[in-house]
Amino acid sequence: MSRYPRLQSLQEISEVMKRYYVQRSIMARLRPVAYVTSGAPVEILEAMGILTLYPENYGALCGAQGAAVGLCQVSESAGYPADLCSYARSHLGAAMSPKQAPLHGLPRPDLLVCCTNICGTVLKWYEALAEVYRVPLFVLDVPFQRTTPPEPHIVAYVSEQLHELIAWLQAHTGRRLKQERLRQTLQYAREAVSLWQEILAFGQHRPSPINAPDLFVAMAPIVTLRGTRKAVECYRHLKAELEERVARGIGAVPGERYRLLWDNIAIWYRLYRFFRPFMDAGACFVADTYTNAWTVALEVDEPFTGMALAYTGVFINLDLSTRLQTIMKLARRFQVDGVVMHANRSCKPFSITQYEVREALRAELGLPVLILEADMTDSRLYNDGAIQERIAAFLESL
Amino acid sequence: MYTAGIDIGAITAKAAILRDGELLATAAIPAGYDRARAAGRVLELALAQAGISRDQIVRLIGTGYGRVLVHGADRTVTEVTCHARGAHYLCPEVRTVIDIGGQDSKAISVGADGRVLEFVMNDKCAAGTGRFLEVMAQALEEDLAGFGALALAASRRVTISSTCTVFAESEVITHLAAGADKAALAAGIHEAIATRLATLVGRIPVRDVVVLTGGVALNVGVVRMLEEKLERRIVVPGYAQLAGAIGAALIAYTDVMDR
Repeated sequence: MSRYPRLQSLQEISEVMKRYYVQRSIMARLRPVAYVTSGAPVEILEAMGILTLYPENYGALCGAQGAAVGLCQVSESAGYPADLCSYARSHLGAAMSPKQAPLHGLPRPDLLVCCTNICGTVLKWYEALAEVYRVPLFVLDVPFQRTTPPEPHIVAYVSEQLHELIAWLQAHTGRRLKQERLRQTLQYAREAVSLWQEILAFGQHRPSPINAPDLFVAMAPIVTLRGTRKAVECYRHLKAELEERVARGIGAVPGERYRLLWDNIAIWYRLYRFFRPFMDAGACFVADTYTNAWTVALEVDEPFTGMALAYTGVFINLDLSTRLQTIMKLARRFQVDGVVMHANRSCKPFSITQYEVREALRAELGLPVLILEADMTDSRLYNDGAIQERIAAFLESL
Repeated sequence: MYTAGIDIGAITAKAAILRDGELLATAAIPAGYDRARAAGRVLELALAQAGISRDQIVRLIGTGYGRVLVHGADRTVTEVTCHARGAHYLCPEVRTVIDIGGQDSKAISVGADGRVLEFVMNDKCAAGTGRFLEVMAQALEEDLAGFGALALAASRRVTISSTCTVFAESEVITHLAAGADKAALAAGIHEAIATRLATLVGRIPVRDVVVLTGGVALNVGVVRMLEEKLERRIVVPGYAQLAGAIGAALIAYTDVMDR
């Protein structure tokens, strides 16, 4: 048996995700399918019985299965630049050449819903998809959040578009949004988010029962199944298992010596392997900014204002000082000894603040910070020799 | 009591032997393709210079990219830690180490005891490394030693705008085709590498004394232009190229003393 016992609930989540893709492929013949961005207000679509699929999650899957590079090359041959986000390149490659894609690509969409709260790339990516599939596209324009809470006109602007989205979905699918269904969906989403917050908080224990790569596996339902009972069930099980680990004093990394904070999206093609040298040195990633992005609570009683606030306030749509405060708070609350930042070639909005954040972490908390250049799915941008060297030197300096 | 450090870098293999924590002998040879063999050879050379045999070495530490290939090493330590220790030995007042190796360059903030406080390294790009200089020297048919002197003798500089080694080389070739002055080009190349390094160094708080280690420290052109960019004096200690191996041998010594 491995020195690092896996959480049983992660196995369950992996199974749920496998079934998710299979079931949705089958159900796609019966119900309208919408591709949505990871920060889209999925509760509305879920409540209307529209099947949602996440090209970004699919991109991560391509990365994890080692299929991303081949698919990126397909889209690069078609003229997409190598500097474009590798989720976009992987997914566009899969759309153009489904035969070589995991699961033979995603089922064809009937609709596209693009929410700009996560980046500007999705806008062009979805426009390209609209051309490939010749299906209608709805763009939900979310302004950058410069203050917390956001200015009232931003909330009103986003909230108004949510109503437009509903009318648009009704017009294209003939499905009505029942308020009761929306309420129920928001309730599930709220419960899942709340459980997810509790799960992340387990990292505060010493030793921490959970490590960042575990969270990268565990996060799939909070992204793709938000608003369903299944997500709530998965997280109840995971939470119970973590409670048991804490009660028995079991750490995710046996002999935990260092507590670290991770910044940015996972490196999907090296999910556990990347963390191995850290684990071998007794370093556990007790908190991260990535999985923490899905902790914005949803309001059930004021659904539209609530969704507008939640979807505007996603981590990478925030101004530098709010992000900084979020990271500082995580560093303090989880009592970390250092920070590792993935300078992700693909995700500029996530990576652009890193050197500023690094300065602040050093100046205000005296924390050592390691910045590693890589990419979330394009393994051609990962230089193992150089990365291992930097990790080893960082661990020696702790 | 003898301890040794072997630093297998991207271009050169280096060895240092200490007697009771004091430098006794050193050796450096090209690492070649068979790094394991180079590790053995360079140690033999250092042993011969020290006039001792292999079994007199109480503890041996390997460092550098090829550190796992050092046969018989008691343990391995990264070159960041070793260069900091080595630089501290060569210049105890050091607070900032700039190490320019063949494959990468690094800036290390060092505590009064020679420990690493923090470090930054170039990422995934050969610009600002020894390899960059090597490629450029080849393009101008200069040996590495003469290359720096040529750059300093120039009365003007041709600007090399590409930061990528491959693109910079073709830029140099374009300039040559246009009849550019060789010295002015050499100066431009050195300025390009110094600018790149200064940017890297700027990511850590630079405190005096600044020490330059690694093979590129032997190039006087890089040293002067880096001083110009950083607006600070840079100390190049004797044995700068051997700082990593010396640091490894020192850590070996400390290991034994701490036992």
